Amino acid sequence: MIRTIEIVALVLGAIIAWLAAAYVDSGLQFLLCEVFLLFIMAQMWNLLAGYAGQVSFGQQMFVGLGAYGLCLMANNTGIPVWGVIVIVPVIVGLLSIPLGMVVFHLKHAYFAIGMWVAAEVVFQFVVKTPALGGSGGIVLRPGGEMMQGFPEQTVLPVSLFLSMALIVGLRVFLRSKLGLATLAVRDNEAAAEAAGVNIWRLHMILFTLTGAGTALAAALYYTTTLFVTPLDAFGAKWVVLMMFIVVVGGLGTLTGPVVGLALFIGIRELMTAAGYSGGQYWIVMGLLSTGVLLFLPQGLWPAFSNYVQSLRGKASS
Amino acid sequence: MALISTEDVSRLFGSVCAVDRVSVELNEGESVGLIGPNGAGKTTLLSLLTGSLKPTRGKITMDGIDVTMLPVFARVTAGIARAAQIPQTFNRLTVRENVLLPAYFGAQLSQHDAGVWVDEVLEMTDLFDRAGQQAASLGLLDRKRLELAKAVASKPRVLLLDEVAAGLTEPEIASIKEVVKRLQPGRVIIWVEHIPFALQGVCSRLLVMDKGAKLLDGPFDEVWASDVLQSTYMGM
Ligand SMILES: Nc1ncnc2c1ncn2[C@@H]1O[C@H](COP(=O)(O)OP(=O)(O)OP(=O)(O)O)[C@@H](O)[C@H]1O
Ligand SMILES: [Mg+2]
Repeated sequence: MIRTIEIVALVLGAIIAWLAAAYVDSGLQFLLCEVFLLFIMAQMWNLLAGYAGQVSFGQQMFVGLGAYGLCLMANNTGIPVWGVIVIVPVIVGLLSIPLGMVVFHLKHAYFAIGMWVAAEVVFQFVVKTPALGGSGGIVLRPGGEMMQGFPEQTVLPVSLFLSMALIVGLRVFLRSKLGLATLAVRDNEAAAEAAGVNIWRLHMILFTLTGAGTALAAALYYTTTLFVTPLDAFGAKWVVLMMFIVVVGGLGTLTGPVVGLALFIGIRELMTAAGYSGGQYWIVMGLLSTGVLLFLPQGLWPAFSNYVQSLRGKASS
Repeated sequence: MALISTEDVSRLFGSVCAVDRVSVELNEGESVGLIGPNGAGKTTLLSLLTGSLKPTRGKITMDGIDVTMLPVFARVTAGIARAAQIPQTFNRLTVRENVLLPAYFGAQLSQHDAGVWVDEVLEMTDLFDRAGQQAASLGLLDRKRLELAKAVASKPRVLLLDEVAAGLTEPEIASIKEVVKRLQPGRVIIWVEHIPFALQGVCSRLLVMDKGAKLLDGPFDEVWASDVLQSTYMGM
C-alpha cells in the first residue's frame, strides 16, 4: 500500500506547510497559493486527459462551480468557510455524474468540445441570472459579514499540503487495481475493455474525482481573492493553463506538470518583473508550447528522462 | 447444452456482408479450427463473439443465455476472451502488468490470487524471464505470446485465438501448440489460422468460412480432405 517514503513525504509536506504559514511574507503567500492550486488543477486535468484519455476543453466549468459554490453557500448559510470548502467539491462531484452520463456519449474531439459547450452554457446561465450576481459576480461575505483575517495564511499551508498529498495519493492510486486499469486505458482503451475493465465506470470515477478536485482547488483560490465574477471563474484561461502546464511538462506523467508549472510561473514572473505588461507572457507561452509540440511532442519531462536513460545505456554498454 | 452458440448471426459493413447467417454450436472441451481465405469473415465472427462488434441480426447465447447485447467487458467476466490478430498490448506497462490486468478484471481475482495465477500464465507462455520488461520492447514472437497470455489470464471458458501462430517459425508454432493443448480441458477454443500445420493435432473439428458464410463444418480430417475445401480454399 503506502510506502515509507510516501509517509515521509506527507510528514515533510505538513512541516513545510506549517513553516510556510509562519514565515513566508504575505506577497509571496498569494503567489504560492496560486502555484499550488494551479498544480492541483493541472494534475486533475492530467489524470482525466493524460491517463484516462478524455481530453476536455471545459474544465473551467469546475473552477466556476467551485468558486460560485463557495460564495453562494458561505454567504447564504451559517456554515463556516472551511466547512463550505469541504462540502462544495462533494456537491460538484455529484453534479458531474449526470453531466458525465450525457457527455460520455461523445468521444475524443467531440467530448473535448462538448465539455467546452457545457462550460459555456453554465457560464451564460450564471451571467443571465441576477440571483447569482449576473455579470458583476459576487463578493465572498460569509454569513453576510466581510471575511475576517488573512485567508491566504491558511490557504497556503492547506494547498501546499494538498499538493504533496495529491502526489502521494496518485502514486498509491496508480499502484492499485483501478490504477492499473487507468494506466492500461492510457495505452489502449479497447484492449483494457477486452481485459474486462468497465471503461465507462472507470471514466465516470475519474471524471467525478477530477471535477471535484478542480472545484476544491477553485474554492480555495477564491477564498483568497474574496470575490468572483463569471468571466474570471468560468474563463477559458483556466483550461488553457491546465493544458499548457500538463502538455508542455509531459502528458500522462506525474512529474511532467511540476516542470510545466515551474516554467509557466518562472516565465510569467520574470517577464512581469522585467516590465512586460499584462498578457504579453502568453506570447512566449504560445511559442514555447508550439515548439515543444513540434519537437518533443511527448513533453519536456519524458524527453528529458528518455535522454538521461539513453546516456546511462551508453555508459553501461 | 452448448457452451456457446450463434444463431443465424450476420454482420454487414455497408453493403459488404462480412458474416452471413452463421450458426454454430460449441461444447465444453471442444477445439475448433476456423479457416477461410482472406476477408472470409473469420475475425469479424470472433468480434461478434467478444462483443466488440454487434451483429446486424442473429443471436449469440452462452449456457443458453442470450448475451448478444452484453458489452465487451461483461463478456470477458462471463468467460469469453480473444487473443487478437494484431497484438493489443499495453506498451508502457511491463509484461507482468499486461497480464495482471485481465487477471484482476476478467478473472476477478484478488491481488494475491492474481499474483499467483499470473506467474503460472507467464510460465506457461514462456514469458517468465521477460516479466519485468516493457511490452513495447518485445519482438514479434513475444508480443504474440503476450497477447495469448492476456487472453488466458482472464480464465476464459471460451478462448478465441486469431492467427496467434502467423509469422512464426515451425518450432515456435510447435511451442504455441503445446500451450494451447494444455488449455483445452473444460474450454471451448476457436482457433483461426491460415497454416493447417498449427491446427493439426490440436483441433478435432474444422470450420470453413468463405465470403462470410459457413461453408463446411465437421471432423478435422474429413473436412480437410473434402473436395469443396480443396477447390475453394486452396484455389485448386
Ligand atoms: N471495421 C470494418 N469496416 C468495414 N469493413 C470491414 C471491417 N472489418 C472487416 N471488414 C470487411 O469484412 C470482410 C471480412 O473481414 P475479416 O477481417 O473478418 O476477414 P478475415 O477472414 O479475418 O480475413 P483475414 O484472413 O485476412 O484476417 C472483409 O471484406 C473486410 O474488408
Ligand atoms: Mg482476420
